[in-house]
Amino acid sequence: MKIRTLIATVGIALITVMGGAQANDPAKLNDLQIAHVAYTADNIDIRYAHLALALSTNPKIHEFARTMIRDHEAVNTQALALLKKLKAAPQDNFLSKQLTANSLKLIDKMSKLRGNAFDKFYASNELAYHKAVNGLVANAFIPNIENAEVKALFKTGLKIFKAHEKHAEMMVKGLK
Amino acid sequence: MRPFQMQRREVVGWAAAAIAAAILPFTIPVFAETNRKPVTHIVDITDFVFVPKSLEVRPGDRITWVNKDIVPHTATADDKSWDTGALKPNERKTITVTKKLLGGYFCRFHPSMKAKIATQK
Ligand SMILES: [Cu+2]
Repeated sequence: MKIRTLIATVGIALITVMGGAQANDPAKLNDLQIAHVAYTADNIDIRYAHLALALSTNPKIHEFARTMIRDHEAVNTQALALLKKLKAAPQDNFLSKQLTANSLKLIDKMSKLRGNAFDKFYASNELAYHKAVNGLVANAFIPNIENAEVKALFKTGLKIFKAHEKHAEMMVKGLK
Repeated sequence: MRPFQMQRREVVGWAAAAIAAAILPFTIPVFAETNRKPVTHIVDITDFVFVPKSLEVRPGDRITWVNKDIVPHTATADDKSWDTGALKPNERKTITVTKKLLGGYFCRFHPSMKAKIATQK
């Protein structure tokens, strides 16, 4: 029950942002702001993964967490290399701030859980998080990115994160 | 008598040719298949898919997995009896086909990635 409420929180936070106000519309972010959101989202998932490695004893959770660190770091490396090539710096924005604020709350809650309670929370949150971010990338970012190379990297990223979403789904099922 | 003998020889000749023609198309390819030189099959790992997903091989062949993605992958037997180990972007690993390679395999890092290896007929 608690888990569901929290997942709803993550989900709703993103949906509100996506559906609502013109001022805070992810579809209106520029390429450098979008890059900042993606970099932030990657780092949040890496932080969740480190928490999982520290608190979980389940080998499947560890395997997933290590994959999250490996893949999100790889994407970040590519993103930074591309920004360097384009001589551009990512720009902080409302969505990056919102994602970070949400993640801090979740990390606070997760770090108090142990055993199966932690595993279930982590797995469900990974599924919800990847779903939410993938929706954002597919519907708000990719159609609006102007730079062709940045767009290509986001398309590659989306394929990776969709595999993560499937993996998270398997992990959630395996914990029931 | 002579013309008859000639005829016989001709008949025999034709018969042999006919038999050879009938048998050769079957025997030669089978012979060539079983004794063909081992070949190397390439499996590309691209966009989180093993390509081809289903591969037909013969013992002694080699399989080379090439990682064309920006993240590491593995090719690992479903029963874990063999494993390429982590393949970094642009890395490749070749394994010679033995019986134990036949069957399903997956990526240890991304278990939704699945493929299989079967015997070529
Ligand atoms: Cu993989």
